[in-house]
Amino acid sequence: MTRKNYYLTTDGLLKRKENTVYFLNKDSKRPIPINKIYSIYAYGALSISSQVLNLLSREGIPVHFFNRYGFYTGSFYLRETLLSGDIIIKQAEHVLDNERRMELAKSFVRGAALNMKRVLGYYGLENGISDTLSDLESSGSITEVMNVEARIRSDYYSAIDGILPEGFRIERRTRRPPENMTNAMISFGNSLLYSTVITELYNTQLNPTISYLHEPFARRYSLALDLSEIFKPTIIDRMIISLIKKRAIKVEDFEHGMNQCLLNDSGKRKFLAEYDRRLGKTVKHRELGRKVSYRRLIRLEAYKLIKHLIGQKRYEPFVMWW
Amino acid sequence: MYLLIVYDVGVERVNRVKSYLRTELHWVQNSVFEGEVTGSQFKRIEMNLKRIIDEDRDSVVIYSFRSESAFKRNVLGVEKSPLDVIL
Amino acid sequence: MSMISGLEGNPAVRGLQINYYFICRTKLWFFSHNIQMERESELVKLGRLLHEESYSREKKELIIDDLIAADFVKRKDCLEVHEVKKSNTMEEAHRFQLIYYLFYLKHVKGIENLKGFIDYPALKKRTEVSLNDEDVEELKNVIKDIDGIIRGPPPAPQRKPICRSCAYFELCWI
Repeated sequence: MTRKNYYLTTDGLLKRKENTVYFLNKDSKRPIPINKIYSIYAYGALSISSQVLNLLSREGIPVHFFNRYGFYTGSFYLRETLLSGDIIIKQAEHVLDNERRMELAKSFVRGAALNMKRVLGYYGLENGISDTLSDLESSGSITEVMNVEARIRSDYYSAIDGILPEGFRIERRTRRPPENMTNAMISFGNSLLYSTVITELYNTQLNPTISYLHEPFARRYSLALDLSEIFKPTIIDRMIISLIKKRAIKVEDFEHGMNQCLLNDSGKRKFLAEYDRRLGKTVKHRELGRKVSYRRLIRLEAYKLIKHLIGQKRYEPFVMWW
Repeated sequence: MYLLIVYDVGVERVNRVKSYLRTELHWVQNSVFEGEVTGSQFKRIEMNLKRIIDEDRDSVVIYSFRSESAFKRNVLGVEKSPLDVIL
Repeated sequence: MSMISGLEGNPAVRGLQINYYFICRTKLWFFSHNIQMERESELVKLGRLLHEESYSREKKELIIDDLIAADFVKRKDCLEVHEVKKSNTMEEAHRFQLIYYLFYLKHVKGIENLKGFIDYPALKKRTEVSLNDEDVEELKNVIKDIDGIIRGPPPAPQRKPICRSCAYFELCWI
């Protein structure tokens, strides 16, 4: 990965001088080589000039914006360059035909569930995921599929609580705002992963707004929501558990309010550093016979979906094999 | 591949070399850049530098390593430009 | 869709499609359905640099009807069409790509006095290609065949040594 993600956590300005981008904040002025940027995640208040946007657009670099809570607010998503009419038609066809849509929606839930099972298995935690998963096949509607997913996830979180120290237990999932530390990390991590998936989808012919498990109107880039489900356990949840268990992240890394809890600056930086390290980690891919990074696994998932849509190979979701 | 580039070029061309390399690699300190590149990026950097410099007078040395882990990097004194991605 | 005289009933094809036909049908199918991976390809990027480096002075790309993109042309007493390639391992693919350009220029554009060359700057080698009846016959069959492949379902990939360095590697083998 010669191009890197840059995470701008401080308030500042992105400026262009000649063909290089500079990030200026109150402490420093840092050049960022344009040919080294893969995508930019902006967490602070960021001013950005149109000259920079032009340069980023020319180089195919997306910028993802987050509010001060770390929730995703939007992307500077570039002019589409990879377009295939055939793929868009196939994508739509697979939503309009209920049977085909259900097949994909179930695959995403199955993938997510099996990865959750792997996470629990890694920590030796007993779970009933397989039992609940058997209800998936008989589900006849997207709502039912979503319900199966919700039941699995709720069991999964309570199982994880079994290995988390007092104070870091999830108890119940709270989103807007998250009410405790682990909920804060889950929300922050899921938004981050969602943006990473958007970047990968941008680099394929898939239209990111046509989705199967989530309704196409659920969010702007609802296909990124679908694919995120599969990777949340492997990338985000494992990372959170490990940060807590290794005491890499502590109570001081959060901002504790009335009924809400968020990562503070040091917390965000620790979280982002670890996330970036994990995206770059490689595993030997069985089918390809080469090493691929976690980040690349997301791209490969998009390729698998393309092959499914054009009828070349049935989609089987990624399930962690290591 | 990981590159370390050091250069000693005429004052008239020094800014052009520097501003070009700023688009490709990380500035380390005066006249020194480094960073991970692909094969085609390496080739492009070589070609573009050749175009900028005066090959009879200037000197650019490119050290290439198989990967970043093939060498150790020790900084004594001040690290002028840390290579963090979290800013 | 423009028709090529002498190839009635066949849709227009692009030079690269002729080339891919000889290299890999799966790649031909993906490329033709706009599932293109060239942007990801180190080989494509290297090829472009090689072209720039070797021919910056003579460089004059010839792009016609969105179908033809010869690397450069030179006007002397005749029109020279050149294709620049890295190595000669895919000679047949290169040759037919150029034959197609020559055929198109002659029969569709009515240009006479054509000469075709494949340049291998890295090998310091140049091969001349000219139109003959036998090749033209085969070209017509190739074009018909390409049309059939594209209209059909995506062909299953066949594992070959060149897969390793192909930009479509992951798409094919995932």
